[in-house]
Amino acid sequence: MPELDELESRLDALVEGDFQRGLEVFRSKLKEAEASYLNSCVHCGLCASSCHYHRADATLENVPAHKLDVIAAVFKRNFTAMGRVAPGLVGARTFDREMAKAWVDAVFGRCSLCGRCSINCTIGIAMPRIFRAARAALGAMGLTPSDLQATVDNSLQHGNNMAITQEDWVETVQWIEEELQMEVDDPEAKLPLDKKGAKILFTVNPREPKFFPLSLQASAKVFWAAKEDWTLSSDPGWDLTNYGLFNCKDDEAGAITQNLVDAMERLGCKTLVIGECGHGYGAARWEGPEWLQKSYPFEIKSILELMDDYLREGRIHVDPSKNTVPVTLHDPCNLVRHGGICEAQRRVLRKSVTTFTEMTPNRAENFCCGGGGGQLSMARYKNRRIQSGGVKAGQIKDTGAKIVVAPCHNCIDQLMELNKEYKLNVQIKTVAEMVADAIVTTA
Amino acid sequence: MRLLVLASAIWTILAMAFLHHKTKGFGKRTLFSKPAGSPRKGALYAFTRGMAPWAKESVMLNLPSYVAGMAFHAGVFSAFGLMCLALLGFELPFFLLVIAQVFTLLGAIGGLSLFVKRIVKAELRGLSCPDDFVSNLLSTAFALLAFLWTLVPSMESLWLAEGALLLIYAPIGKIRHCLFFFTTRYHLGAFFGRRGTFPPEGNSHA
Ligand code: SF4
Ligand code: SF4
Repeated sequence: MPELDELESRLDALVEGDFQRGLEVFRSKLKEAEASYLNSCVHCGLCASSCHYHRADATLENVPAHKLDVIAAVFKRNFTAMGRVAPGLVGARTFDREMAKAWVDAVFGRCSLCGRCSINCTIGIAMPRIFRAARAALGAMGLTPSDLQATVDNSLQHGNNMAITQEDWVETVQWIEEELQMEVDDPEAKLPLDKKGAKILFTVNPREPKFFPLSLQASAKVFWAAKEDWTLSSDPGWDLTNYGLFNCKDDEAGAITQNLVDAMERLGCKTLVIGECGHGYGAARWEGPEWLQKSYPFEIKSILELMDDYLREGRIHVDPSKNTVPVTLHDPCNLVRHGGICEAQRRVLRKSVTTFTEMTPNRAENFCCGGGGGQLSMARYKNRRIQSGGVKAGQIKDTGAKIVVAPCHNCIDQLMELNKEYKLNVQIKTVAEMVADAIVTTA
Repeated sequence: MRLLVLASAIWTILAMAFLHHKTKGFGKRTLFSKPAGSPRKGALYAFTRGMAPWAKESVMLNLPSYVAGMAFHAGVFSAFGLMCLALLGFELPFFLLVIAQVFTLLGAIGGLSLFVKRIVKAELRGLSCPDDFVSNLLSTAFALLAFLWTLVPSMESLWLAEGALLLIYAPIGKIRHCLFFFTTRYHLGAFFGRRGTFPPEGNSHA
């Protein structure tokens, strides 16, 4: 595997200055909360089974506390008195090549930053905050896995993470518009592009125009039924994804967020609506303002909240009998646990389908599908990703559902692989697709 | 001996205050995203319902360890209570003394069982550093000696000396979690509260 060798050789080539730079960046990411987290672990080990990596492969390296420990060991050695005076006693370690390797393995190779361990930790350590600081440090040392970095570079260079040209994007939108017009038998049904002053700027995951045009068509159908005043952007502001959340280079993440802010300003829209994507929502809604160090001058919402509003306000009407196949719901970590969007999608689904079965556990206790944290883009860890996804596959099987609804296109990619690997025989759809199928237009 | 305990306690308080001050020195994060919920309510949840055993899958899956841990903590706190009373020259009424005996004995058993678990379970052993064993031993011995002192008052000097040692060690090793538990849990609650995740609305195990 060339990427594996490449990362190994980058590790081998590290010099003293690299470690120093890594430590400086790591320190710069720590605030009061993180310093407290790094002083708190009591090594009780109770967090082990909260992690899907450990559930799938019960080794020490997969225990969240162990992943935290390799980071905390370096923190103690460099930033605490006891770590300097008695490193052996408190488990402090010098940041050397071996530790850098352990960091890479722990935070890139064995963690999807899902945060399930945080809420199950005896003390309450929000571990992904520490792992993100470590990823940032490794990035400063040139140790970001190159395929993860390539995804970010695509966004920076092409304005979207799949390097779709503006021409292709616009053509796809026009083609989907024609499809929608045929579907709803209304020549006025539109996918507006660059409509200045529209109330809503809708953003999508590039996987939609590239591989899942029906998802975009479904969202457009919902907007059409709600008679919404909305638009897409033809410039980079159409892509909601931001893998800067995963390479943890805040300047790059901020530059990608700026695309959305610029599009909102250019088009003069009131509300930025993030399509069905967990990390995209987390990045735009929660981290974006922190990366840019300023509050947005506009409202930001998930399309799930919007569909919930439409149904509550009677702007759209659905007939659940149009969706009779048993459905279950996947909770994307960045949307639910880290994003706070938990009940809207449930209210929407309950109204749109006849049989909805929850996975156990669900909501903030959900298991990651295994594809989060940038894992989908890091080929070198594919086997672990598929293996750890076995936990989600088991949850799906237990529901007996035939459709898995996943409000996240990254999760959908992973779930499609799990579908094959674990022979789940399910369909995987977005919430908007379910709603679009249930929409009744004569009400 | 009393002076030693007092000096140790002063050291503990000062060292913990220093640790707290140093952590504060990392600075507070100014947040620009609009909150979806209340950090205060999130923190309140983290310290109340969020700590209930049934709110945490990790507890439900490890009930014996949880029970041992709770007993251990209760035993150590009871031992500290007894030590304060002993230093002040108060005598406990009989029924309170019996309760303290039960707590300290169960605490010592809980601590010892966790010590054995740490040695026996390969994964937990791999997770441990010497501090984990030292911290456990000092605390377990403190609870055990407190229990024995209630039966054999002549053991007071030994018990108090051990207590002083525990106090001196507390800020050095992981016993510092008696401070950081509160700050960490507050930050966790505030983080998830701000994002609207805490307090949770639905039943995540339904
Ligand atoms: S954040 Fe998720 S993947 Fe990472 S250690 Fe915690 S539970 Fe495991
Ligand atoms: S549950 Fe929390 S305190 Fe216990 S080992 Fe895991 S991270 Fe450390």
